[in-house]
Amino acid sequence: MADYKEAPLASRPKTLDPNEYFNLSLEYRRAEEERSAIRSNLKLQYQTQLNNPHRKALIEDPALNRWMYARSHTYPHFKTTFKTSLTGLLFGVVPVVVLYYLFKTDRDKKEVDIKAGKYDRRFSLTS
Amino acid sequence: MAGVGFRRWAQALSRGKGSGLSALLPGCRAASGGSKTDLPSSYPLTPEAKAAAAKKYNMRVEDYKPHTDQGEGYGDYPKLPDTSQQERDPWYQWDHPDLRRNWGEPMHWDFDMYIRNRVDTSPSTLSWSSMCKQLFGFLGFMLFMFYLGEKYPSYQPVAPKQYPYNNLYLENGGDPEKQPEEVVNYKI
Repeated sequence: MADYKEAPLASRPKTLDPNEYFNLSLEYRRAEEERSAIRSNLKLQYQTQLNNPHRKALIEDPALNRWMYARSHTYPHFKTTFKTSLTGLLFGVVPVVVLYYLFKTDRDKKEVDIKAGKYDRRFSLTS
Repeated sequence: MAGVGFRRWAQALSRGKGSGLSALLPGCRAASGGSKTDLPSSYPLTPEAKAAAAKKYNMRVEDYKPHTDQGEGYGDYPKLPDTSQQERDPWYQWDHPDLRRNWGEPMHWDFDMYIRNRVDTSPSTLSWSSMCKQLFGFLGFMLFMFYLGEKYPSYQPVAPKQYPYNNLYLENGGDPEKQPEEVVNYKI
């Protein structure tokens, strides 16, 4: 293999991985060939549509559509379990309640100080 | 021509079985675009469903692994390795070079997070533990030293300023007739 040193911020590219060329098992080769076949088929479909001189519209990507659909239609597959309820509580209820109490107590303390005349407005620019 | 079409439509309506607005709409859809079976659906329970889902997502049956069904809303969407697009081969001729992705390739659930402008999972020069130790070690040391400096301050010795002429008796408004008390600011 050529003298390739691993770059500090990059993973080794697949084409320079010696395991891709030596000591290959038949199953691995078959798997790679199947993947390559799927990839080539998709490439053919894309290139046909891309180079079609009569095409006016943009090329629709069904994988992108599926991704968008999956991301926006999570509710039908939602189930109330311990994990999901905990997540809902931690992210939806706890911040609201905690922040309410923090702000309320801070503001009440400030109000008491102002009423007693002890509020420190040394650096205030608005009064 | 339009008249013929209208007559046909009225005839179809009278023969049709639907009622209400659905009766007015045509009973067929355009053949363009994907069908309902092309879209993601619920978690595959049987091996046949798994194979069909793998085919739908353009993946090998062995490669296709759905997210574990814990009610989080993934459905049958495949679980792809959590690597960013920055880690992909920069020299390969991708269909979309900026995204380093081919047309039709299944997208990671968090694809919009893993684009090259955002989260990057490329290996770093140092290990995580080494980085943590260096950063928090430095911060901890600086905080500790500043705390010590606050507790035990160390500066040049100072004293109140000493003025001549009996602490400036005349300048401070002292009576010129009266004799001021002698102020000695030194010690020999």
